Amino acid sequence: MVKSFFWASSARHSTTAAASMAVSLPMVRPLGYLKAMTPRLVPPQICWRRHLSTIYSQKPERVPLPANLPKEFYSQLPERLRPDNEPRKIDVIPPPPSACSVCKDPVATVTASQLAILDPTGERKALFDYRRNPRSVKAGDILRVTFKSGDPFSGVCLGIRLRGIDTSFLLRNQLTRVGVEMWIKVFSPNVGSVEIVQRTEKRKRRARLYYMRKPEHDMGSVENIVQNYLRQKSALTGQPISKSRGR
Amino acid sequence: MPPRILLDLPQLCRLCRPSPCLTNNIQRAFGIKSLNPPKPNRFNVSPGLPVLKSTQQDALERKIKADTLPLRTGVLAIKKGMTAIFDQDSGKRTPCTVLQLDRVQVVSHKTRDKHGYFAVQVGSGWRHPRRLTKALLGHFAVNGISSKRHVHEFRVRDERGLLGVGEIINANWFQEGQYVDARSNTRGMGFAGVIKRHGFHGQDRSHGVSLTHRSLGSAGPSQGGGSRVYPGKKMAGNMGNIQNKLQNLKVLKVDAPNGILVVKGSVSGPKGCLVKIQDAIKKPWPEGTLRQPGSSTV
Repeated sequence: MVKSFFWASSARHSTTAAASMAVSLPMVRPLGYLKAMTPRLVPPQICWRRHLSTIYSQKPERVPLPANLPKEFYSQLPERLRPDNEPRKIDVIPPPPSACSVCKDPVATVTASQLAILDPTGERKALFDYRRNPRSVKAGDILRVTFKSGDPFSGVCLGIRLRGIDTSFLLRNQLTRVGVEMWIKVFSPNVGSVEIVQRTEKRKRRARLYYMRKPEHDMGSVENIVQNYLRQKSALTGQPISKSRGR
Repeated sequence: MPPRILLDLPQLCRLCRPSPCLTNNIQRAFGIKSLNPPKPNRFNVSPGLPVLKSTQQDALERKIKADTLPLRTGVLAIKKGMTAIFDQDSGKRTPCTVLQLDRVQVVSHKTRDKHGYFAVQVGSGWRHPRRLTKALLGHFAVNGISSKRHVHEFRVRDERGLLGVGEIINANWFQEGQYVDARSNTRGMGFAGVIKRHGFHGQDRSHGVSLTHRSLGSAGPSQGGGSRVYPGKKMAGNMGNIQNKLQNLKVLKVDAPNGILVVKGSVSGPKGCLVKIQDAIKKPWPEGTLRQPGSSTV
């Protein structure tokens, strides 16, 4: 309907314009424009403008919400203004008992359980705990180790490494004039016995006697010292040398 | 004066009406989808060709067919250090890693119907609720779990592997003698040069080499090679702190009251790092460990 109305007016307009070209104003004005029907696109002129001279007016005071507002009206308020608006509570559940508080150091626990089997009396631990036990093995002592398989190994102790279950010591000897060294794990089930053949005369001022590998410091073979020790021991105990198992 | 027209009337009507594409009920797709979905090709049509299987469901079926999904969930443990275990009979020393389980609990499930796969979300440790986001706190509260320090997902084969929410997993979840896979982040090395990171040999100490003794040298061929650096060129960069998986570690010892799990050999990462342990996928699944549906015993 609108369209037909518009075209009718424009047709009339064009015919009149063609008929009287010289006339500046059309004789017949269009009845209307579509623009008038559409919402106004041009913003309304700013009729009120703030100047420095404008009298400062205070903010309008906030109107308080009516007290005892019925609940059915809450939905009309923004969420933050509703009287029952509170942060939602999240349940916090207490933690279950922790194994970490029972066992603070699991590595120590595992080591202790191992030592309880491998060294029940704690004798061997004390024998090599040179930091606490003054009667322990020290670097420079001559030791004789007998393994479970039966073959012994003797030599000078060059150093003790205290590492819990991995505690070990280094023995050095000369077999057929060739220097031989062996790290032996103190708590290894393969180690049958450890005997102190001879203690060092003077306390060594080093924890590791690696200088004894040098030719000028090398002790050479400890075979003679060990043989002497075994002879004395067999004389005392009355047992043949081959069966000597001590400590 | 010709009247101006802003919009043609049919055009107006079209604007007011909702467009046809909006009226259709289009479902939003979730999950991973292919950038190049399979298209029918006229050269690729013959009766004997296999059906292309690129859906999530097919992927799950392939995974189940390959039998690489463990039957039951894994656990989160903390690496506590290394020690050794001596065998009393043979006298053999076995180096081992000590791991500890701290309040490992099932937090929630992922199911095939809802998420496309089966998985158990497991949490461990404890973190102060103040230090957690509201989203995580809500997640824990809904499932009735205390706030956890670590949360991780373990995929399982089917719903039989979904351990009940809230159940505490202890070290006796694993049996002594079984094999496990351990995933953890390696020790971070920071920004490392090519010698440390990739084992390059470096350059000469002398012979005219100046200030580039540890650099990588040329990064690529000259104009014949395209005058560019090829993708994947080994260069300096951040080293370590990436996940590493060690497979088929034997469980040497289980101590449930102390939450201790001892596995053979080493596990990646420094002491105190998080280790994800699950049944080894390259060994037969441990027997008698999978609970039957409906039974309450672990």
